[in-house]
Amino acid sequence: MRRFSIFALVVFILAVGGLFALGPSGTQRVQTSFLGMITPFFTTGSDLERKVTAVRQGLKTLQELEAENKELAVSNKELQAINQTLRDLEAENNRLRNAMQYRERAAFQLVPARVIARDASSWWNTIKIDRGSADGVESDMPVLTESGLVGKTTFVAEHSANVILISDENCKVASSIEGSREQGIISGERASSTGQPALCMRFLSKTANLKPDQKVYSSGVGGVYPAGVFIGAIKEFRVRELDGYATLVPAVDLTTLEDVFVVLGKK
Amino acid sequence: MIRFFLILLLAALGALMLQFYIPPLAFMYGARVLLLPLVFFFGALALPFPAMLALAFACGLMWDALTAQVLDIGMGPTSARVVEIGMGWSCLLYAVLGSLMCGFKPLFQRGRWEIHCLLSGVCTSVIVLAEFLMISVRRAAFYNVPFEVHRDIWWRIGGPGLVALVLAPVFFFFLKSMAALVGYNTSAPEIEEEEA
Repeated sequence: MRRFSIFALVVFILAVGGLFALGPSGTQRVQTSFLGMITPFFTTGSDLERKVTAVRQGLKTLQELEAENKELAVSNKELQAINQTLRDLEAENNRLRNAMQYRERAAFQLVPARVIARDASSWWNTIKIDRGSADGVESDMPVLTESGLVGKTTFVAEHSANVILISDENCKVASSIEGSREQGIISGERASSTGQPALCMRFLSKTANLKPDQKVYSSGVGGVYPAGVFIGAIKEFRVRELDGYATLVPAVDLTTLEDVFVVLGKK
Repeated sequence: MIRFFLILLLAALGALMLQFYIPPLAFMYGARVLLLPLVFFFGALALPFPAMLALAFACGLMWDALTAQVLDIGMGPTSARVVEIGMGWSCLLYAVLGSLMCGFKPLFQRGRWEIHCLLSGVCTSVIVLAEFLMISVRRAAFYNVPFEVHRDIWWRIGGPGLVALVLAPVFFFFLKSMAALVGYNTSAPEIEEEEA
């Protein structure tokens, strides 16, 4: 028995050594395979969670439903009208840019995706979505919602992908501030005093003098995130020894994400 | 023993999946509920040492496969991809903590669970603390922040342990019942194996 335990210990050490020796591509291969294997469980779990939530929230009276329906019909017409106006403006803008020999700025090609699992760890902020390589999703593709930037894909299985959120310390986004020439790098915080995900913007100039509620957008530097995507609003600005530092309120509520879009590229 | 080991593997996978649907606990300043360590710690008490190592490897691998981050360092021609915390660290951590649990096996075999439940809570917090220390070293970012943020960090380390402490008896009872169902005697696995 004791000899068998020593043999098992040696095998264990060799196996762990094998894992340590995995490089980035080997690690991502293991992650992709494992994510692919458990995706059906995540999808089922997510469906179940949605059904439970729908039952809990869906208990409405007929009058409430009628009122909601009327409200939605009006809102739908309004949005259609706004959408048409924006299309006209986009076409006009592209024509003018063309005329000025600027590159035509095309809209993004988006793939809608559903969040099938949120992170369970204490220090990493990620989500799993139900779109993968079969839908054209690759690693390092930006993920956003209609409200703003969410993060980027990291490892991708056939029918699911892992997305690192902008609230993660490892997710860094080059960004610029509305109404200012200031540029900086946004990343998440490992913990925040409010319990909500927090963002911070570093490498600002000490004389930036930013005001609360100023909007921050991605600057497009680095090549992963497209320029002009709303990230959040300034909450507080303070001067440190070497640079200016701002805390931000994220544009998207990252704790209740349900549906997102993956930016595949330009149309 | 093999049947019970497979049950523990399935339970570990189930616990891992379930963790993803449990939101952070707001009253514990964002602490997470970690169920996977509980399944493993019961396995460490109920299984012989070699099987405990196999379970540690499986649990660590599953956890690392979902949390390991591959980062892009630098830009342009100097850019490189690195793994922040390599796969395998969790296996090692689980094996060390599992071995510690093994030391308390005689008491467990006599039907006393209190020390083991307490230890499960402490060890769950140790796992989260070890992760925190590893990423702090890797990112060269030990915290020099206001007290409120420190409070959150300590809750995130201690909270999962407290939850594990509360849940451990329930998990232990459930898994012991499963063992009985497949005819595995958790009280004396070594003796049983030697007889076989």
